[in-house]
Amino acid sequence: MKNQLKVLRAMRDWSQQDLAERLGVSRQSVNAIETGKYDPSLPLAFKIAEVFEQTIEEIFQRD
Amino acid sequence: MRVTGESKPQGRSQGFWIGLFCANIGAIVAWRVTDAINSPTGTVLLALTMLLLIPIVKAGERSGCNSPAMRIYNRRVLIASFGYVLGLGTAISLWRNYDLARPAIFAISMLPVLPTFGMIWAMARYLIEEEDEYLRYRTTMAALVGLGGVLAIGIFWGFLEMFELVPHIWSWWVLPVWALGLAIAQLWMKVRAE
Repeated sequence: MKNQLKVLRAMRDWSQQDLAERLGVSRQSVNAIETGKYDPSLPLAFKIAEVFEQTIEEIFQRD
Repeated sequence: MRVTGESKPQGRSQGFWIGLFCANIGAIVAWRVTDAINSPTGTVLLALTMLLLIPIVKAGERSGCNSPAMRIYNRRVLIASFGYVLGLGTAISLWRNYDLARPAIFAISMLPVLPTFGMIWAMARYLIEEEDEYLRYRTTMAALVGLGGVLAIGIFWGFLEMFELVPHIWSWWVLPVWALGLAIAQLWMKVRAE
């Protein structure tokens, strides 16, 4: 699954650690999701969407 | 905040302490196999080597990579590991030096068993308490890799043993073999993720 996490994060000038703190997860989690090595669960995807004030579909797309 | 007055080891990485721990274990095993040291000396050296688990855990906490659940897990395993070495040493000493009845032998054999159960319980608690789903996923996958290793090696060795090609090994080896598989898989996933 592709995602816009890195772009959205850069637009806000957030580091992976900043985003991790906002999501309440580890920096490793943000890194794994961002690089496509791990697909988040639905609750975490909703939380990511909430943090970026976008829909899940806008952030995550199928390959 | 420094715990001891020794300044040099405080800044060492977790990898350094793990390397030192493995080197010590390897040296002790080599000395025992070649009869360079006797069993009580080996037990004492092993117990002293277990003290290296403290800086391993501390260095891991300093690195900031551990979740709160992982920190609790590390401390639980640390306590269980000390209990294991102490229990094993005590059980072997009692068994070798005293003519014990079967119920007593059963009781002393539980001395290393119970801390080992503690380690298994600590892993179960970690998987329950870990709130970070990616870290939980990573540990679960590593545990499955460790399990696969135990099954593969166990079956491989078991049949070689059945046909008398290799000597008998004690079944408690499943835990160290599983833990080794878990550690290798964790390390591989960590390196791959970064």
